[in-house]
Amino acid sequence: MAAAVSNVVRIPMGDSTDVTLAAGGDRQAFERLYRTHANRVFSLCTRMSGSRTRGEELTQDVFVRTWEKLPQFRGESAFSTWLHRLAVNVVLNARKTEGKAASRTDDSDVGDERWDEGARAPMHIERMDLTDAIAKLPQGARKIFVLHDIEGYKHEEIAEMMGITSGGSKAQLHRARLLLREALDR
Amino acid sequence: MTSSNMTCEAFDAALPDYLEGTPGDSLRASVEGHLSECVRCASLLKDVENIRDEASALPDLVPSRDLWQGIEARIAPPVIPLAARPERPRRFAPAWMGVAAAALVVSTAAVTYLITSRSSGQSPAANIAQVAPLTSETPANSGTDFQVAPVTTAPAQASVNGTSEGQSGAVATLSRTQSSNRGVPAARLVSGPDQSGRAHSDLVYGREIDLLQKIVAQRKAGLDSSTVAIIERNLRIIDAAIQQSRDALANDPASRLLGQQLTHALDKKVELLRTAAMLPAST
Repeated sequence: MAAAVSNVVRIPMGDSTDVTLAAGGDRQAFERLYRTHANRVFSLCTRMSGSRTRGEELTQDVFVRTWEKLPQFRGESAFSTWLHRLAVNVVLNARKTEGKAASRTDDSDVGDERWDEGARAPMHIERMDLTDAIAKLPQGARKIFVLHDIEGYKHEEIAEMMGITSGGSKAQLHRARLLLREALDR
Repeated sequence: MTSSNMTCEAFDAALPDYLEGTPGDSLRASVEGHLSECVRCASLLKDVENIRDEASALPDLVPSRDLWQGIEARIAPPVIPLAARPERPRRFAPAWMGVAAAALVVSTAAVTYLITSRSSGQSPAANIAQVAPLTSETPANSGTDFQVAPVTTAPAQASVNGTSEGQSGAVATLSRTQSSNRGVPAARLVSGPDQSGRAHSDLVYGREIDLLQKIVAQRKAGLDSSTVAIIERNLRIIDAAIQQSRDALANDPASRLLGQQLTHALDKKVELLRTAAMLPAST
């Protein structure tokens, strides 16, 4: 009997069931969705914001927004795709409302296609790992690097989300890669 | 400068497109010719490709603490559900059929009441029985689908705006089942001069508003100051409307219109507080 029990294959409940339940107000189902996707959302939020503390705050904002928006999810894409797009929007919108002082100090203007050599200054540091180096990138370059090279978005998608041109996205990505190369002392 | 006739500067300019795989054939040939002869540019390309590949393989980060509790607190369902979302078909929901039937009964009773009160020459308020205040421990919501509150209470509203309790108007409150957390339409039926219904409604609203006010107070520091100012200004307006409705009901306890106005104002307050409680930080 014990052997029979041990042979039972547990089929994990897929997102789709929990999404349906959560959209109907089932918080336990929503918690399961959170547990499944929290780390990836946190990674996105932390890397885009450059701060673990801010990443945690934004992760909570993302899931609260997800709870609000879930009844509108129509299943036209995978839930994870929809969730991560929503997460990107939450992070980008949060950025828009944050103090302008930060953007004045790190030449992070969205869509700034110029590469001032002075921008290299903060990256003249000891060798570090890639995660740390990404966190130290200027804000605009960091967001685009994370979206493109880590999250896999295309330049056209990034341009649309950030309200910049595709060429601007490419330029910022290249800038980020070169700054990382320098930071990583390669 | 190499024999491929491409300078290192030209290579730097062409590198983004080359990495994207989008250069034309002639440019690609020039880049690759240059790469075969220039150690500096070949090294640059290799480093950038490595960074790109490493980035795409970065493992997920893990939060330093469990974030769920903070999320759960912000999505906690209100005791009184808000009005249904627009896309929900409300008209033919079973609960609303019940409400419609109840409304028919109440309207019939109201007509009868008006006729009998005219014939007796008494004012409607004179017929309202005096009720004893209820303690705050009285259950506000037993989790059943439909409650015409059998209890009466005065102090509930004190938590809403610190004013004394209005004693008139009756409201039968539909509350959702415990298993459903949101999206269920709130149904309220102003049914005539039933003080116990109004008192129960006030108790439920009072508890809900208390809960939401605590959440909003906790989240206030994380919200944009201009947003907080707008929320507070609108709350003052709603509180004034609530107070006016209560004052009017004190003079005309049997008024259905005033009861509806009060309920509407309380709904608005709950809705605003709930929205504020769920606002993302710094937006």
